[in-house]
Amino acid sequence: MVTKRTEHKWGMVVDLDRCTGCQACVVACQAENNIPINTKDYFQQRRAYEWIRIERYWEGEFPNVKARFIPILCQHCENAPCEPVCPVFATYHNDEGLNVQIYNRCIGTRYCSVNCPYSVRMFNYWQPNWPDRFRNQLNPDVTVRTRGIMEKCTFCVQRLRRGEVNVERRGLEPLTGERITGEKKLNYRQMKEGNYLPACVQSCPTNALQFSDQHDETGPVKERFDEANEQIETRHHGGHVDESHTRVYRLFEEVGTKPNVIYLKKVDSFPLEKA
Amino acid sequence: MLPLMVAGGVVTVIMGFVLVVLLISWFSNPPFGLGNAPPQPIAFPHTVHVAENNIQCEFCHRNVTKGEAATVPAVETCLFCHKDIDGGNVTAQAEIEKVRTAFETDTPINWERVHRLPDHVRFIHEAHIRYFTDDDIPIKYGINGEVLADTPDVALTCTICHGDVGNKTVVKPKTGQSLKMGTCLDCHKDNNVPTDCTVCHK
Repeated sequence: MVTKRTEHKWGMVVDLDRCTGCQACVVACQAENNIPINTKDYFQQRRAYEWIRIERYWEGEFPNVKARFIPILCQHCENAPCEPVCPVFATYHNDEGLNVQIYNRCIGTRYCSVNCPYSVRMFNYWQPNWPDRFRNQLNPDVTVRTRGIMEKCTFCVQRLRRGEVNVERRGLEPLTGERITGEKKLNYRQMKEGNYLPACVQSCPTNALQFSDQHDETGPVKERFDEANEQIETRHHGGHVDESHTRVYRLFEEVGTKPNVIYLKKVDSFPLEKA
Repeated sequence: MLPLMVAGGVVTVIMGFVLVVLLISWFSNPPFGLGNAPPQPIAFPHTVHVAENNIQCEFCHRNVTKGEAATVPAVETCLFCHKDIDGGNVTAQAEIEKVRTAFETDTPINWERVHRLPDHVRFIHEAHIRYFTDDDIPIKYGINGEVLADTPDVALTCTICHGDVGNKTVVKPKTGQSLKMGTCLDCHKDNNVPTDCTVCHK
């Protein structure tokens, strides 16, 4: 028997009302995860990649027009379509609700990216290359992925692991501050919000991205996930959800992937007049 | 018929060659003489320091109980003893003189790395030593599943993976365990600690 690591289940809430489309999350992700610099060339070949991207939509007709932004990252689906199609089991679900990609196992068949409804799995077309002055900027906690493999958002799992070691090293309960002793030490890997934040969440200037354990009573996301799960239950039993009273939704909910990322609808005080 | 036979022979030879290469790289770890000791700038004998004079591992490899890498000691650490001690014989004195020169001229000693893990593996020395030297954990298992004596000290913990470095004049990668993934996994399973891929792979 192998120890169950934690009771954690990580989740993210994206508040579209707060998102200004500033791209700080994209830059933070790029820096944290050693993602190579996308040049104009790469974009024109449609081979540029970002683990989190801001999609922009125009609403209305010129000159009555509004910009809408939506950050799209790996949804860490419960029923991930990418997982069963991998021939070498390079992607799997771990017991913390993370959809994990193991780079050194991946052989680059790209089945997963074909099967992903969100287009968040990125294929590495080139040997990554940085200008010399950027070499010391690379994050030592993340591998520099070679050419020819799939990669994607990991919810910055390297930060989770580093946080765990720090929690264990200090040997204190994060919530009460008591010293952990005895057999409890073996199973003790509890993290709380603040010990572990992905780079995008940390960098978001408007707190549009929020991240914590879905079961954490004090965390910012539990309420939203409860609401979303309730909706799913209601729909599952044939009930009707009044969408004008709730902001919670998941991307492509009808596909049934059960994402661990929840979006909150934009609240528009001055909607465009319909022509 | 003859050209066909020649072609068949060539294919057999090539396949045989590939097979031999694969066998060598699988069974001899690391393959092709990479397991030999790299030449070091100073002939440092672990035997004298550890076996004869009983210096603990963490006295020189200071970071091993604090962080990720064990680290090689700074020149100042050597000088801590060697400003007074100058070895028993002429060869030892010559080697120690190199250390003193490095200290006086402010030049670091370019030690060659012996144990090297791939880039996609994270190994934290401190976490492992903390686990093995912890009094609260009742039973701890070694690499081959043997039960360790109650609460090993730091030096004994090091030998679990690195082998008996204290009695080796020259340290080779082969001195201890092979440091393959199977070795890590066996020990993790025996000790009932997590084996999720992301624990080690990054």
